[in-house]
Amino acid sequence: MIFAAPWVLAALAGLPVLWWLLRVTPPAPRTETFPALRLLLGLRATEETPARTPWWLLALRLTAAALVIVALARPILDAGTALPGDGPVLLVIDNGWASAPGWQKRIQAAAGVLDRAERAGRKAALLATAPDEAGMAPTISAPMPVPDLRARLAALRPEPWPDDRAGAAAALRSWHQPGTSTVYLGDALADSAFPAFADALAATGSLTSICCDATPIRALLPPASEADRLVARVAQVPVSTETQVAVLAQAGDGRTLARATIAVPAGAAIASTAIALPSELRNTLTRLVLDGPASAGSVVLLDERWRRRPVGLMAGDQTSADAPFAGELYYLSRALGPYGEVRTGDVSALLGRDLAVMVLADRPLPAGPEREALTKWVEKGGLLIRFAGPRMAEAEAADGLLPVKLLGGDRQLGGALSWSEPAGLAQFAPDSPFAGLTVPAEVRVSRQVLAEPGAGLPARTWAALTDGTPLVTQVSLGAGRIVLFHVTANADWSNLPLSGLFLDMLRRLTALSAGVASKGDATVLAPAETLDGYGVLTAPPRAATGLAANAFATTPVSPAHPPGLYGPESNRQALNLGAAVGALAPAPSVSGAKVEPLAEARGQTPLGPPLVTLAVLLLLADLLVSLALRGLVRGRVTGSAALVLLLFAMPAQALETVANPALATRLGYIVTGDERVDGIAKAGLIGLSDFVNRRTSATLAMPDAIQPGVTDMSFYPLLYWPIVADAPPLTPAQTAALNDYMSRGGIILIDTRDSGSGAGFAPGTENAFRRIAQGLSIPALTPVTTAHVLSRAFYLLTDFPGRFTGDPVWVQRDQDRANDSVSPVIIGGNDWAAAWAVDNAGQNPYAVIPGGQRQRVMAYRFGLNVVMYALTGNYKGDQVHVPAILQRLGQ
Amino acid sequence: MAIRRAEALASRLPPLLVAAERVAATVAQGVHGRRRVGQGDSFWQFRRFVAGDPVNRVDWRQSAKSSQPAPTGWFVRETEWEAAQTVCLWRDTSASMHWRRGGPVEKQERADLLALALAALLLRGGERILPMIAGAKPVAGRFGLERFAADLGAWQDPAGLPPDLPLPRHATAVLIGDFLSPLPEIQTVIGRLAATPVRGYLLQVLDPAEAALPFQGRIRFRGLENDGEALIPRVESIRDDYAGALRAQQAGLAAICAAAGFGFGVHLTDGSPEAALLTLYAALGAV
Repeated sequence: MIFAAPWVLAALAGLPVLWWLLRVTPPAPRTETFPALRLLLGLRATEETPARTPWWLLALRLTAAALVIVALARPILDAGTALPGDGPVLLVIDNGWASAPGWQKRIQAAAGVLDRAERAGRKAALLATAPDEAGMAPTISAPMPVPDLRARLAALRPEPWPDDRAGAAAALRSWHQPGTSTVYLGDALADSAFPAFADALAATGSLTSICCDATPIRALLPPASEADRLVARVAQVPVSTETQVAVLAQAGDGRTLARATIAVPAGAAIASTAIALPSELRNTLTRLVLDGPASAGSVVLLDERWRRRPVGLMAGDQTSADAPFAGELYYLSRALGPYGEVRTGDVSALLGRDLAVMVLADRPLPAGPEREALTKWVEKGGLLIRFAGPRMAEAEAADGLLPVKLLGGDRQLGGALSWSEPAGLAQFAPDSPFAGLTVPAEVRVSRQVLAEPGAGLPARTWAALTDGTPLVTQVSLGAGRIVLFHVTANADWSNLPLSGLFLDMLRRLTALSAGVASKGDATVLAPAETLDGYGVLTAPPRAATGLAANAFATTPVSPAHPPGLYGPESNRQALNLGAAVGALAPAPSVSGAKVEPLAEARGQTPLGPPLVTLAVLLLLADLLVSLALRGLVRGRVTGSAALVLLLFAMPAQALETVANPALATRLGYIVTGDERVDGIAKAGLIGLSDFVNRRTSATLAMPDAIQPGVTDMSFYPLLYWPIVADAPPLTPAQTAALNDYMSRGGIILIDTRDSGSGAGFAPGTENAFRRIAQGLSIPALTPVTTAHVLSRAFYLLTDFPGRFTGDPVWVQRDQDRANDSVSPVIIGGNDWAAAWAVDNAGQNPYAVIPGGQRQRVMAYRFGLNVVMYALTGNYKGDQVHVPAILQRLGQ
Repeated sequence: MAIRRAEALASRLPPLLVAAERVAATVAQGVHGRRRVGQGDSFWQFRRFVAGDPVNRVDWRQSAKSSQPAPTGWFVRETEWEAAQTVCLWRDTSASMHWRRGGPVEKQERADLLALALAALLLRGGERILPMIAGAKPVAGRFGLERFAADLGAWQDPAGLPPDLPLPRHATAVLIGDFLSPLPEIQTVIGRLAATPVRGYLLQVLDPAEAALPFQGRIRFRGLENDGEALIPRVESIRDDYAGALRAQQAGLAAICAAAGFGFGVHLTDGSPEAALLTLYAALGAV
């Protein structure tokens, strides 16, 4: 620990004076009034409260003062030793991809070096050895004061490409400053240019090397794709002990789908492990990530090459191939479609693009260009799956692309003229790719083509019938494989395509095929997303340029071609750092360098601020103690903060509030935007819901505010819609939502609030409604008569008053059987909500016009009828005929 | 408000009967039953007619029921002799009463409440109340309580002791205050009262803080009636001495009261006023 301003410590000599000053001041007494003072006057205290400050309080104050003095002297912890030399300090930092894992430590160490330089009053210069984003070779900044360099250091990031040691060596060779103290923060990764770089480094001046991270540098290599698994490979700087590293297989949304641990043996540079994943999961993988500190080298992006298994389908008779339930490709396309890309077409179209699997359903291959093309394709690694059928059975036996030689004709099991019965499937052999699949007992094969018996036949059989005749045979051809199903791909010869087993077998076969590697052409793919130094996909840097599609395997990562995804969305190709890394070698130590371990390097810690904080806390304690001594703070807290719960007299909330509108039946009102009108609508519906709850078995919850197009209106049987004069026109979305609501049985009670006795109360609403309603599908209307269901849905009503009365109420004229003869709209202007409204005290705040309790009651009854109409439809429609029935009975 | 509280308090006790030592000379006639025949409104007994009784005192209804010939069957209706006692009330209104530290209310408020409650009780029992203020007149009856309360509101006497007033002889005096004055001054007042002669009761109302001295540390105490100040360096050390001084004061008061035929009691404001009222009730019954 050192003091940056040691002369301040001289103030400690003043502490005794402070001590003396503090000692002579006794605490001031507290003053109290006391009626029985006369009784006190004669009394004398037997022991004195110390008139002087107690010693511990004195110590407290002196400690606080001493702490402030020491803090002002700016003590600094972990300052480190001074750097040799008296010239500028040259900071050389490796910021290639390998530096990312320990980057924070490196920056801390560099900051510590700059602290040392600043204390010594030296200038500093910076050299980052990786090329920057623009691709510029490393250069040394001019020597500058330390605070300026700190900003540059803060802007430094690890880059996703390797160091340019040759460029850095060239820059170092041009550095000529006497008395330079060079500090090298390396990433401990050697490359071909490292010896020259080390020499140049040593030539600059006295060298300190701060090195290295405890965890070895690792890079994930591109995985090898095998039939049913992905082999992840990791390269590592060899270390003397066995290490373990986990590889995470992640999907595009960041989920980790699999985790595999790679054990790297002692001294090994590359290790690998297999990640077994079902093919459909494997197809969703977008990246492999090394578990641990992130860097560009710990991420391998997977592109289409690792997961695309396009399947081509061809039938003998292309025209009827897709006929439902009968077509030869019908079951195939349905089985394969959900798990991969399925294409149909002729052979040239199919083979013109990448194809992993080709399925031929009952398509004989006579000698010709088609057979040649397919043979060539299979030999290059394609998987050809063939299905037998009548055409194949009749064709010339040997067409070459068959795993076994077929006997002419077909064998029929069962049937009108046969004693035999359709055969079931035998269990799959353990070495068959279908091993482990359960064979359903109901699968029966009634016809099949037969293979010519031979010594090699059992080895080529992957599946057989219970009598031993092969059902699925296969043979390798070149790098590819041919598989033959001895039955048709439709249900003509067997019910295998109808079973789930068919699906499983096809998926196993598809997984067997090699992924399709992109066809290398010279198309230049533009960078779409690139990795930054920490392995995060970001926008490509400015200097990134496009890359030819066939150059991905050979192009090393550089500022011009940062690792990442290139090309359009449909055809992304990944350029991975690991592809060009190969084995990693540790960097030898630079000769003549003084080595400081990176783990111990840290920036200086100023102790001043915590000391001042402590002093302030002590002074606060002193304040409390002084107050307590003067009796201003009672030891017993008599009036601890009492939490007063203000129980607001909530208005009796009769209606239940349920957040989810689907859980309770409730009314709704369409929000107009006019606060007063909306308030009346809400209060009105609350009043009506209460009335309905009291009078009927219907249970309505709190009404909701509805915004058409925003709120899901499907839960509301009835919407109340007050019209305001300045209503804005409906947006197309709102119109569509309201029309949809009405067409699906919802009822809207539209209220212009200005008719009959209330004419003139809301001028302009009728025009506003005409304007609004233009887009709504409102049917032809008719006034409600006493014959309408609405007038007898619960109460027998002859008129339908609200706050106003007098004018008719309109409903749909024509009975719409599809909608239960229920009118989707009820239109009137009686301001019903105002009549129904109740305030918090349970009173009706709006007087009805012309007035009278009966009008209020009739308004509620109309509301109840509307609710019943909405809830029960035309249930009460029969009552329309009651007078006639009664009349008839009477006679 | 204070009246209502006082009445509520008083209603929990039966009407208070003040025993008077001297009957004939001092007690004015009133509504106070003496358990013997005399002037009054309440029925006492029927007595057979004796020759010489005025005819207008014969209870004809009772006589008719006797179905005996006159005058042996005649009955005279006699009433109970009823009389009233005068109780002189005084309560301290000096500055030292307006103080509260440990109790729920100021001493003054409690003294007012007790005085009013006692007055309500006495008035219900038919007694007359005389506030010990110069020029005050005795009050009686229900409306007397209102008048007494009005007097009480206007009653500000900075002196800590009862004034020198001519009181009815053989009256009963009730003195409520903190009585922290020097004992000789109190002796003078009580002696003057006893010479009238007046008997009575002296109730000392104290705040709990005055009884216990719950202060700590270095405190400068100031009196409320210009009686100087005292700087106590460490209050907790003199607590026992103070308790002794207070005991001495109360013992002195008790001695003075006993010599003059007065009752003496102490009431702390954190105690219930009902208890104090009961004490007064019992004490006045005994005097």
